[in-house]
Amino acid sequence: MAFLEIKNLCAKVGEKQILKDFSLTINEGEIHAIMGPNGSGKSTLSNVIAGHPAYEVTAGSITFKGQDLLAMRADERANSGVFLAFQYPTELPGVGTALFLKTAINAKRKFLGLPDLDAVQFMKRLKTRATALGVTDEMLKRPVNVGFSGGEKKKMETFQMAFLEPDFCILDEMDSGLDIDALRVVANGVNVMHEPHRAFLLITHYQRLLDYIVPDFVHIMVDGKIVQSGDKTLALQLEEKGYENYK
Amino acid sequence: MKITNNISLTGYNGVLTETVFGTEPMEIVVPENSEFTAHILHISGPITLRVILNGEYAKCDIKIAYLSNKNNHNNIKVEVIHQYKNTASSQVIKGILTDTSKMVFDGIIRIPFDSQKCDGHQNHRAILLSDTASVQATPELEIYADDVKCSHGSAVGALDENHLFYLLSRGIPMDEAKKILLKSYVMEILPETWEQYVDEWMDENV
Repeated sequence: MAFLEIKNLCAKVGEKQILKDFSLTINEGEIHAIMGPNGSGKSTLSNVIAGHPAYEVTAGSITFKGQDLLAMRADERANSGVFLAFQYPTELPGVGTALFLKTAINAKRKFLGLPDLDAVQFMKRLKTRATALGVTDEMLKRPVNVGFSGGEKKKMETFQMAFLEPDFCILDEMDSGLDIDALRVVANGVNVMHEPHRAFLLITHYQRLLDYIVPDFVHIMVDGKIVQSGDKTLALQLEEKGYENYK
Repeated sequence: MKITNNISLTGYNGVLTETVFGTEPMEIVVPENSEFTAHILHISGPITLRVILNGEYAKCDIKIAYLSNKNNHNNIKVEVIHQYKNTASSQVIKGILTDTSKMVFDGIIRIPFDSQKCDGHQNHRAILLSDTASVQATPELEIYADDVKCSHGSAVGALDENHLFYLLSRGIPMDEAKKILLKSYVMEILPETWEQYVDEWMDENV
């Protein structure tokens, strides 16, 4: 049984059909990268997997660990192990980062039939992950993503991912807006989580990210579906020749 | 009410700790170099508040959060009069409405001819949790002086879908996600100790 299986997926926003017969299979432990020009549907794909209500699935299926993902609400998908690191993380004024993460982890534990983390367990887990990613106490005290630079927001997304320990991580344009130092921190955060029971889907425009996080498979997405798949050398070819040949 | 020094009024559901904030219209006269600060959490009944900035460098800072439910029809009227030059006012009004409740909000800033170099700002926002709740907001600027800075704005809408999705995508169920967002939205302008009143209302109405 595949870990994540997307079959003939079609999805639209409003009246605009964006995903057109999209299929992809991901197994445990694998890192997949999807590359494609602007408007090819990469972000739509990540939002559809995570369950954004603005996207309507018109055909096809997504199975995650044997379950029908499309039949689940967004919060249920998250608690089953799906995590989306957003391209543009939302700012939540007035919502403290620590409280936000405590609510999220305890929602997941409740879903899994586990008791809430107490204050001591929570703080320990928070501090361990924060230290590893260079997230300071001051950053944890701020409201979620408020007043953070683009790079800090991406770092916080990676931190949330490390904290919540999902099984399937989608990283939507993790590299955009990052300088080399921040990119290394974020990539390292991903690499330490690369374990046999977890899989990753990287969505990116550029080959650069793949120097730091090495994918097992690279897929090229154009006009709502995958038009070519290969190994990491495909990304290098793409960097040289661009997307022109696929249009 | 005349005040002689800087004063801060805080009130829950119409009752202020410094004075009784009943349903009767209330007038606050702020002398020069003084500041009037008010935090009001409104749940029912009308509020009429008139603030006269009655001396140079008088200021007022008014923050009102209103929570309306059931078939409650309420009105809030805030009038700020910049009687002297170099006076400043700020009004932030935030509401949440559910069921078939209705709010009529009138926000008035008056700046007479001689009151130059005044600053007057008013911002009203409301979140509707049902299709049958409504808000009628009428901001009114009556400005005769020509060297002033003034602004007003009013926005009424639903909870931001992207904000909600961000919480859902982290595993937080819809009801809890709504409560977190709504609470942070009103607590931004209220004293921390009032959290319990907001929680109570949220538990019953969201």
